[in-house]
Amino acid sequence: MTPQILEIDQLSEGYIILITGLLIVFGSLIILSLFFKYGVPILLYVYKIITKGRDRKIKDIAIAADEKFTGEIAAAIATAIHLYLHEKHDTENAILTIKQARKLYSPWSSKIYGTQNRL
Amino acid sequence: MKKILIIFGVLSLLIFIRPALGLNSVQTNTESTTIVQADEETSERFIDEAIGGIKQFYQYTGFANATSGHLLMILIGIVFIYLGIKFDYEPLLLIPIGAGVIIGNIPFVAGNQTGIYETGSVLNYLYFGVVKGIYPPLIFLGIGAMTDFSSLIANPKLMLLGAAAQIGVFATFLGALYLGFNLPEAGAIGIIGGADGPTAIFLSSKLANGVNILADGTVVKNLIGPIAIAAYSYMALVPVIQPPLMRLLISKEDRKIRMKAPRAVSQKEKMLFPIIALILTTFISPSALPLLGMLFFGNLLKESGRTERLADTARTKLIDIVTILLGVTVGASTQADIFITKDSMLIFGLGAISFVIATMGGLLFAKFMNLFLKGEDRINPLIGAAGVSAVPDSARVVHAEALKSDPHNYLLMHAMAPNVSGVIGSAIAAGIILSFLG
Repeated sequence: MTPQILEIDQLSEGYIILITGLLIVFGSLIILSLFFKYGVPILLYVYKIITKGRDRKIKDIAIAADEKFTGEIAAAIATAIHLYLHEKHDTENAILTIKQARKLYSPWSSKIYGTQNRL
Repeated sequence: MKKILIIFGVLSLLIFIRPALGLNSVQTNTESTTIVQADEETSERFIDEAIGGIKQFYQYTGFANATSGHLLMILIGIVFIYLGIKFDYEPLLLIPIGAGVIIGNIPFVAGNQTGIYETGSVLNYLYFGVVKGIYPPLIFLGIGAMTDFSSLIANPKLMLLGAAAQIGVFATFLGALYLGFNLPEAGAIGIIGGADGPTAIFLSSKLANGVNILADGTVVKNLIGPIAIAAYSYMALVPVIQPPLMRLLISKEDRKIRMKAPRAVSQKEKMLFPIIALILTTFISPSALPLLGMLFFGNLLKESGRTERLADTARTKLIDIVTILLGVTVGASTQADIFITKDSMLIFGLGAISFVIATMGGLLFAKFMNLFLKGEDRINPLIGAAGVSAVPDSARVVHAEALKSDPHNYLLMHAMAPNVSGVIGSAIAAGIILSFLG
């Protein structure tokens, strides 16, 4: 008798979990979608108001120019950096090959003229 | 070959020459009988010992210990590998799991710290990450760093499809209860319907881990292996399971509905999404924190624009490493004597049903939503099927199915929205089940 009661108990608890679980999953995703539908635009609007004028595009920002910093100096620095980065090393061919050097005949260590085999 | 034969011949000569000589001497020389007999005895003992050693060695081999279960599981492992290679069904998962199934089912003598369930064995240490639920959040971190939520942000109402597919989770949960599993086990089995491997492993490692003790004093069964295998194999079979259901439930005209292109989403919205979604979802379902926290953290790494290096590691190297370990250990956890039970078969049956229910839930809810939507806002009900997570496979299946009825209807972007919200939904569902039953 007890196992049956237990089983029924389990099933009823199962139904409770089924209903509440589904509701919560739906609820949370509905909240999330509503938030993104309505909340985020508001947030972005508020952000825009708070940071009024600060969030400009780069081309709108006036350059506080340094009069002495001319194009020539910039070019010189750029060239220097370019040279430093690219021409720091001599480029060497990394492939090593051992060439067979052609030897001219020399009799100084020739086997023919050994002490053993006399002519 | 000749050399081997010579060596073999010499060895056999060395072994057999002594008894042969001894026998000869017995026949010819009677004086030295006693000595020869002693010699004979030692040689016999030598042979006995050698045979005994070979016998003992044989007892340790797989051939002596193999049962039909082991062979069956090895065959299943080979089938997994075959499916992964031949049909390209999620090879990144099926090949590690298949190899793991073979590794886990090599028969051995227990007690030598070999098997995955023996404390102290190397496999056991790797399996630790599964048992304690360490790997799933790391996978989620990588998934977060991979996923682009912009289609979801552009069309938030598609999130509901991700919720609708979770009907599969709760329906399977109920089915498992009816089949006589107790509550925590049923909860862990239900999550197969979420079609999300990491979530399934996470929840089963918390609920059906063979350690927890129930109210009536019994210990829950260890169902991590069957649940993970069922979840991953059905995820791999999404291209087989879903299309017939789509054709069954969605009419030809509905399949041709074209959805308007999602609006462009600004970078600010993309950055806000993980933070807001993290806070909202984990406040509702704190038990899902390890999963959702890591998911949205990974997405923040991607969208912040400042941590590209971290995001890159999370979505490539880290997730690869964890997938390898997870796949192999989950595969190896299918050791035949523990895996082949009636429960596993039931779980496999329930898993198939749960995938069907989840897909149907998504499709029908999409049709239901269409009742309220007019004109351009109407959604193509096919994308409801992508609400089962299985990222990105189910979205791809939806895309392919839509192309079949209208070759110019590209649904992939739209299907990604319910797809990723399915991931969020199943993680929330796991959190809810965990908070009810954990």
